[in-house]
Amino acid sequence: MTPTPLPARLRPLAWTLAAFGSAVLLHVDRLPPWITAFAIGAIVARLTLALRGARMPNAWVRVGVALTLTVGVLASFRTLNGLAAGSALLAAMGSLKLLETRARRDDYVMFGVALFLLLAACLDRQALTRVPLYALQLWVSCAALAVIATPDALSGVKAPLRLAGRALLYALPLALILFLFFPRLPGAFWALPNASGAVTGLSDEMSPGQIDELTDSDAPAFRVEFEGATPPPQQRYWRGPVLQSFDGTTWRRDRGRYFLEPRVQFEGPAYRYRVTLEPHGRNGWFALESVVASPSRKVQLTLDRRLISAEPVNEAVSYTAMSHPRTVTHEPLSRLGWRYSLELPPGQNPRTLALASRLRAATPDPSAYARAVLGYFAREGFEYTLTPPRLSGNAVDEFLFSTRRGFCGHYASAYATLMRAGGVPARVVTGYLGGEWNPIGRYYIVKQSDAHAWVEIWLDGRGWVRVDPTAVVAPERLQRGLYDLLPGAASLATRLTRENAWLAEFAQGWDALNTAWRKRVLEFGEGSQLALLERLGFDSPQWRELGLALGLGMIAWLAWMTWQSRFWLRAARPDALARAWRALNAKYARVGLARGAAEAPLAYAARIGRARPDLAIEAEALAREYADLRYGRERRAIAVRHFAGSVRRLRLSAAPRIP
Amino acid sequence: MSERLQQAIATLETIILGKPGQLRLAVACLLARGHLLIEDVPGVGKTTLAHALAQVFGLAWQRVQFTSDLLPADVIGVSVFDRNTQQFHFRKGPLFTQLLLADEVNRASPKAQSALLEAMEERQVSTDVTTYRLPDPFFVVATQNPHEQAGTYALPESQLDRFLMRIRLGYPDASHERDLLREGERRDLLPQLAPVLDAERVLAMQAAVRGIHVSDALLDYLQMLIAHTRAHADIRIGLSPRAGQGLLRAAQAWAAIAGRHAVLPDDVQAVFSAVAGHRLERRDALDAADGLRLADRVVEAVPVPA
Repeated sequence: MTPTPLPARLRPLAWTLAAFGSAVLLHVDRLPPWITAFAIGAIVARLTLALRGARMPNAWVRVGVALTLTVGVLASFRTLNGLAAGSALLAAMGSLKLLETRARRDDYVMFGVALFLLLAACLDRQALTRVPLYALQLWVSCAALAVIATPDALSGVKAPLRLAGRALLYALPLALILFLFFPRLPGAFWALPNASGAVTGLSDEMSPGQIDELTDSDAPAFRVEFEGATPPPQQRYWRGPVLQSFDGTTWRRDRGRYFLEPRVQFEGPAYRYRVTLEPHGRNGWFALESVVASPSRKVQLTLDRRLISAEPVNEAVSYTAMSHPRTVTHEPLSRLGWRYSLELPPGQNPRTLALASRLRAATPDPSAYARAVLGYFAREGFEYTLTPPRLSGNAVDEFLFSTRRGFCGHYASAYATLMRAGGVPARVVTGYLGGEWNPIGRYYIVKQSDAHAWVEIWLDGRGWVRVDPTAVVAPERLQRGLYDLLPGAASLATRLTRENAWLAEFAQGWDALNTAWRKRVLEFGEGSQLALLERLGFDSPQWRELGLALGLGMIAWLAWMTWQSRFWLRAARPDALARAWRALNAKYARVGLARGAAEAPLAYAARIGRARPDLAIEAEALAREYADLRYGRERRAIAVRHFAGSVRRLRLSAAPRIP
Repeated sequence: MSERLQQAIATLETIILGKPGQLRLAVACLLARGHLLIEDVPGVGKTTLAHALAQVFGLAWQRVQFTSDLLPADVIGVSVFDRNTQQFHFRKGPLFTQLLLADEVNRASPKAQSALLEAMEERQVSTDVTTYRLPDPFFVVATQNPHEQAGTYALPESQLDRFLMRIRLGYPDASHERDLLREGERRDLLPQLAPVLDAERVLAMQAAVRGIHVSDALLDYLQMLIAHTRAHADIRIGLSPRAGQGLLRAAQAWAAIAGRHAVLPDDVQAVFSAVAGHRLERRDALDAADGLRLADRVVEAVPVPA
C-alpha cells in the first residue's frame, strides 16, 4: 500500500467518522455499553492511525475481533435477530469496519452503515423529540457523502453541510409525495418484533392496604376526542379491569371465574369518540362506560364489558368507539354470578361483617342498603388522601374503624366488601375518571394520575349499577382532577406546570403537538391515504387512484427539479452565440467535417476549405463572423442573431459538387 | 501600419526563402518586444535572417560572436580612463544597438551569458556609477547550435525564459534549395535592400500590438492552456506567469500581422509552440526537442470553448 498524503485522506475520513459516530449515538441508550465503548474506541483508534500514518490491524486480528463481537452480541441479546440485536451487531461490525477503511469505497460502506443505523433508529422510536436528532444525523451523513465523493471540491465544514442541506431540501417534496401516496399495506408491516416497553397503567389486581402512595404520574394514559356531544365529567368513567375475587386484602381479576352476564339495554344519549391509547404493555383497551361494541376485530368485548385486545398494546393505537353512559337489564343474574359476586374470604374482617349485617337489618331493600352504606362513609369522618397509612391484617376492618384515611381503592374495596357482606352482589372496577381538556389540540387527555376505582352492585331489575363511594367522601374528585383536589400530593414538577399559566399552556401545546404528530404522521396509513385522495376529489379512491396520485406527484416533482436545475446549469449553459457556433459545427459534422475540440475557428474553416473547396468561402466568412463576435471588442445582440440566422439558413450538400 | 508591415514581410520573404511561418514568428517576436532564440545547425540562414530583419525594419544592428573567452565587458562595454579629461569614460559595447545578433550564445561562459541576458530583461546597463538605457527598440536575436555539445554551456531554464520565442529554421525544401543554389548567396542582396520601416514606426507598431483587443473568452482559453501545462503529468514545470504574459503579447502581435483587431484562439495556437516549446520540459527525457512536441500536445488537448 502506498502511503497517501495525510490531509487529503484525513478529511473524508473525519466526515465518515462523524457520520458513523452520530449514527451510533442515536442508539446509545439501547446498545449494551460495551458496544458503545468499542465504537468510541474504534473511532479514536482510526483517527490515531490516520494521524500517525500507521498500519491497520491485520486481517487475522480483524477476523478474531469480528467473531468475538458476534459472540458478545449473541450473549447480550440471546439472538442476532430483531431490531435491537441487529442494530447492536451493525454498530459493532461498523466500528470494526472502520479499522479497515482505506479507500473511498470503504468510506461509502461506512456511509451506508450510518444510514442503516439511522433507519434502525427510525424503526425503533418515532417520538417527535427524536425527529430533530434523526434529521441532524441525516444531514451530517449526507455532508459526509458529499465530502467522500468530492474531497477537493468542498473545503471547510460549511460548504459540504450547505450542499447536503440544499440537496435534502430538494428531496423533501419527494419524501412528502412518497409519504402521502406510496401504497402501504394495512397495518405496520415494517414493525419488527419490538421488546415490550415498560408496563405502566392499571394492573389486574388492587390491594389498597399495601400501597403507601399512588404513583403521581403525569404520564398520559390515552387521549380522547369526542365527536359531537361530550359527557359531563361525572359520567366520564373509563372502564378498566373488573376485579371479582377478594382475599381480604387484594382484589383480583380471576381468570376462569366467568359467568354469563345478562344482556343489557342501553339508555340515555350515545357518545362517539376516538381514543388514542398510549402503549402500556397490557391487553386492555379503554372505553367510556358502557361501550356498545368492539371497535376492532382484534379486540374482544368481554362479558364484563371490557375491551381486551389479542395482543398487548406496545405501540400507540387509535380506535373509534360508542358508549351509552347508562345501561339497564331486566334479566336476572346467573347463579354463578351471584356466587362469585358475593364471595368473601371466610373469617376475615369480622367487624366489617358485623357492621354490614347491622346496616342490612335496618334496610332490607338492596338499593336502600347501598345508600345507607354510602351515608355511613359520608357521616363517619372519612378523609380522602393519597398518602394513607399502611394497613395490615384485616385491612378493611382497620380502614373502616381505625385509620379512615384513604383513596379511591380503599373506599371501593371497603364498599364492595360491605355490599357483599350485606348480600348484595358487588365487584370492584378499576379504570380512569375524568380527563383534562386540551384547548389547543381540542381533546381530553387522561393521565395515569386519573386512575380510579369504583364499585358495581347488582340490583334486580336494573342490572349492574355503578356506585362510586369516593364521590361521597370527596365529591370534587368527580368534577376535577386529582391535582385540584390535593395539590400537596403532586410532585414538584407537576405543581410547577400546573401553577404557572405559561408552563401549563406550553405543556398542553406540546402534548397537542405530539398528538398531532402521532395522528397525522405516524398513524398515516392506508385509510388516511384514501381519505386524503377523497379530499383531493377522487371518487371512492382505490389503489389505482393511489398509484395515479403517486405518479402525478413524482412527475410534478421532476418537473419542479427540472425547473430548478435551470439555475444550477445557468453557468454552464451556452449562450446564443455558442449555440449557433455549435449548430454550425454540427452541420459541417454531418458532411464529415466535425470540428476537433481543440480546433480554433479560422483553422477549422481553413480545413473545411481544403477538404471542400466549394464550401471554403462560406465557411471562412462564417468562422470570421463568429470569431469577431466571440473575441471582438463588442458583441451586439443583433449581430449574434444575424450569425445565428446565417447558420440556420446554411444548407450543405453532402458531397462536393463537380463543376 | 498594416500595409507597410505586409510589405516588410514580403521583402523578407524574398531573402529567406520558403520559411513564411518562421519569418512571421520572428516579426511577431519583434513586435511583441520579445527576444528571439534561433536554434539550428549552422548554414541555414540564421545570421541572414537577423541581418535581413535589421535591414528591412530600418534598425541599427550589431553582431557579437560568442566564444568561451568572451568577457561581459566585450558585450556591454567598458569604463576607460580618458587622459585628456582625467575622467573615466564608459565606452559602450556592441550591446548598445537596436538589433543585436548574439551568435552561438551557448558557447560563451555563463558569466558572459548572464550579462547579456540581464541586459535583455532590464533593457538597461548599470555600471558602477551610471545606468545606461539601451536604445529603443531593442531586440536580441540569439542563435545556438543544439548539436554541438563540447565546450558549450547550455542556457539554463531561467535564462531560456527571457527569450519570448525559440524557433527553428530547418532546411529549405527542394525547390527553394534549388533557387538558393542557382541564385547564390542571399546575403549579398541585403545591402541593396531599401528599408521598409524605421525605428519610429517599429515603436509605433509595438504600441499598436499592445492595443489589440483581448476578450474574456480568449483569456479563458489562454488560462486553460497554461493550466493544462501545469497539471500535465509529463511536464516537469508548467508555464510561468511571465510566459503567460509573453504568450498573450505574441498572440497579439500575430493577430496584428494577420490584420486583426482582436486576438483569436488561432493566434494563440500559432505562437504557442514557439513561446512554450523551450519552457516545457519532460519529466523523464532529456531531449530538449521534446518541448515542441509537448507544446503541440497541449494545444491538441485543450478544447477551444464555443
